[in-house]
Amino acid sequence: MELAMLAFERPAIDWHAFAPELVLLAVGSILTLIDIVYNERARRVMPALAAVGLLATLVPVLTLAVDGADRSMFDGAFVVDDMALTLKALFLISGFVVVLLSVDYIRDGDYHENEYYSLLLASLLGMVLIASSRDLITMFIALELLSIPAYMLAAWRKGGATSNEAGLKYYLMGVFASAIMLYGMSLIFGVSGSTQFDAIRVALDTGGDSAPMVTLGILFVLVGFGFKVSAVPFHTWAPDVYEGSPTPITAFLAVAAKAAGFVALLQLVFVAFSGRYDVVEPFFWIMAALTMTVGNLMALRQTNIVRMLAYSGVAQGGFMLAPFAVAGQATDSAIQAIVTYLIIYAFMNLGAFAVVLAVAKKTRSGEISSYAGLFSYAPGLAVAMTVFMAALAGIPPAGGWVAKLLVWRALLDASSVQGTVLAVVVAFNAVLAFSYYAKVLREMWMSDAPDGDTSPVSVSGTLTLALGLTVLATLAFGVFPQLAARFGDFSASFAL
Amino acid sequence: MVDTIVFVICAVICLTGAIGVIAARNPVHSALMLVMTLFGIAVLFIAQEAHFLAAVQVIVYAGAIVVLFLFVIMLLGVDVATDLELGKLRGQKTAAAGFAVVALAVVGYLIVNVDTTRTGVQSQGGVIDNVTPNVDLLAESLFDQYVYAFELTSVLLVVAVIGAVVLSRRHPPLDTDSAEASN
Repeated sequence: MELAMLAFERPAIDWHAFAPELVLLAVGSILTLIDIVYNERARRVMPALAAVGLLATLVPVLTLAVDGADRSMFDGAFVVDDMALTLKALFLISGFVVVLLSVDYIRDGDYHENEYYSLLLASLLGMVLIASSRDLITMFIALELLSIPAYMLAAWRKGGATSNEAGLKYYLMGVFASAIMLYGMSLIFGVSGSTQFDAIRVALDTGGDSAPMVTLGILFVLVGFGFKVSAVPFHTWAPDVYEGSPTPITAFLAVAAKAAGFVALLQLVFVAFSGRYDVVEPFFWIMAALTMTVGNLMALRQTNIVRMLAYSGVAQGGFMLAPFAVAGQATDSAIQAIVTYLIIYAFMNLGAFAVVLAVAKKTRSGEISSYAGLFSYAPGLAVAMTVFMAALAGIPPAGGWVAKLLVWRALLDASSVQGTVLAVVVAFNAVLAFSYYAKVLREMWMSDAPDGDTSPVSVSGTLTLALGLTVLATLAFGVFPQLAARFGDFSASFAL
Repeated sequence: MVDTIVFVICAVICLTGAIGVIAARNPVHSALMLVMTLFGIAVLFIAQEAHFLAAVQVIVYAGAIVVLFLFVIMLLGVDVATDLELGKLRGQKTAAAGFAVVALAVVGYLIVNVDTTRTGVQSQGGVIDNVTPNVDLLAESLFDQYVYAFELTSVLLVVAVIGAVVLSRRHPPLDTDSAEASN
C-alpha cells in the first residue's frame, strides 16, 4: 500500500487572540508545578499567585478590547469579538472574587489547598474558552473543562457527608445533562453536516426535510444547558449541591458556572439556531416562566441562607431565560438584557455569598435566624447585605433594577402577546421574590441578636476587598444604568 | 483467495475465543480468551483496510479494557471458579438462550438484506476517499481542523487526573459534621 503524504499546513494561529487563554493556562500549569516541587510549603503563596494570575489574564483581554478587531481562527471555531471579551472579563473578575472568598475558608478548613486553586483556574479556563467557541466540539470540550473541575471542587470538603453528596450529585446530573446534549449535537451534526455554528445556521435555514430531527436536536441541546443553568424542571440538583459544597465554590457555581451556561445558550440560540426561533421561543417561554415561579416559591420556604440563595439563584436564572423567549422578535434588546443581567447578577450574588461567609465565621450557622441583630454588632456587613438583597430584589439604587428593567424592555419590545404575558409573569415574580429577601433584611435590622451575643465579627482583609468590590460594582450599575447597559449592548456582534 | 484464507483463520480464532469466554471455568482465562477474540477482529479490520480501527481495537479493547477486567477480577478475588456459582439468577440460562436466538435472527436479517440500501444518503461526517488511507485522513483532521479541540482535550485529561488523585487520597474524617455550619 502506498502512503500518500498529505501536504500538512499548520493552521494559522493568531497568538494575540489566544493570549488570555494561554496566560491562564500558563498560570494554572505553574501552580501545578509549584505544588509538585514545593508541596505543602507552597500553601501560603497559592491564593496570591492565583489572584495575580487572573489579573494578569485580564491584561491581554484589555489589549484585545482596545484593539477592537474581531478575530477568528480554526475555521471559525474560536472567535474573539466584543461580546466574547466582555464575558471573558466577567468570568475572570468573578474568578478573582472567588479566590478572595476562598483564601480564609480553604486555609482554615482541612482542605487540599494547592490543587484547589489549580482546579479553580482550570474551570475558569473552560469558561473563558466557552465565551469564544462557535463550534459544537469546541463548545462541548470547553463545557467539560469547566464542569469537571467543578464536580471535584463541590466534593472538596472530603470529610463532610453533605459535600460528598454534593459532588456526586453534581457529577451524575452533569454527566446526564452532557449525554443528552451530546445526543442533540449529534442529531444537529447529522442534519447540517458541520459542527460550526455559522454553517449550522445556514443548513438549518434551508434544510426543510428533516424538521422533526432538527427540532429534537435543538431541544436536546437546550435541555442539556438547562441542567447547567439549573432551569426548572432541571434544577433539582442545585440546592443540595449549593448547600453541601464549600461556600466559595457555591458562589463560584451559582455565579460563574451559571453564567457560562448562559453564554453557551447565547451563542447557540443567536448564532447556530437563529433560523429556528419557532422552536426556541416557546421552549424558553415555558422554561422561563416555570423557573421563575418555582424558584421563588421554593425560596420562600427556606430557612437556611445558602439554600435560599440557591433557590433565589434558580429564580434569577428564570429572569435571565425570559428574554430568550423573544429571541427572534426582539433580538437586540434580548441579547442586551441577558448579558447585562449576567454582569449585574455576578456582582450582587458574589457579594451576598461574601457576607454569608463572613457571618458564618462568627455564628457557625447557615440559618437565616442567625442574622438576627446583625446591624447591632456588624453594621458594615448588615449594610452590605442590605445592598445585595435590595439588588437581588430589584430595588433602586442597587444594581438589580437595571437588569430587570432591561428584561421587561426586551419582552415588551417584542410587542407580541407571549412577550407581554411573560412580562407580567416577571413582574409578579419580582414582587414574590421581594418577600424572602425582605425576610433577611428584617432579621438583620429589626430582631435582637440571639443570646445578646454582640461581639463583633472579624472580617479578614481579603473578604473586605471582595465585599468592597462587589458593593461598589452593584451600586455603580444601579446609579449609572447606562454603564451596565453599555456593556451589554452587542447588537453589532450578531449582525448576521 | 488470500482474503478468504485470512477471513477463515480469523473467524476461527474469533469464535474459539468467544466460546472460550463463556466456557472457561476460571474468570482470568475468560478474560484472556476475550483478548483472542478482539485480536481476531483487529486482523479482520486490517483485511478490510480499516487500519485505524484495527489499531484502536488492539490498543483500547485488547489493551485497556481487558486489563481493566483483569484488575476487577483480581481486586474482587473471584479468580476461583466456585465463586461464580453463587450469583446465578434463576432462569438465567434460558433467558441467555432466548437473547442469543433474537440476536442471531437480527444478524441473519441484516446479512440477507445487506444489498438493500436504506436511505442511500452519503455520510455527512467522514466522506469516503478511496485514494488517501483513512489513518492519514484522521491524522489530518485531528491536527489541522480539530487541533484546537484536540489540545483542549489534553488539558481536560490532565485536570481530571489531578482532581481524581486529590479526591481519592485518604483524608481524616472531620470529627462531626458541625463544620458544615460554616456554610
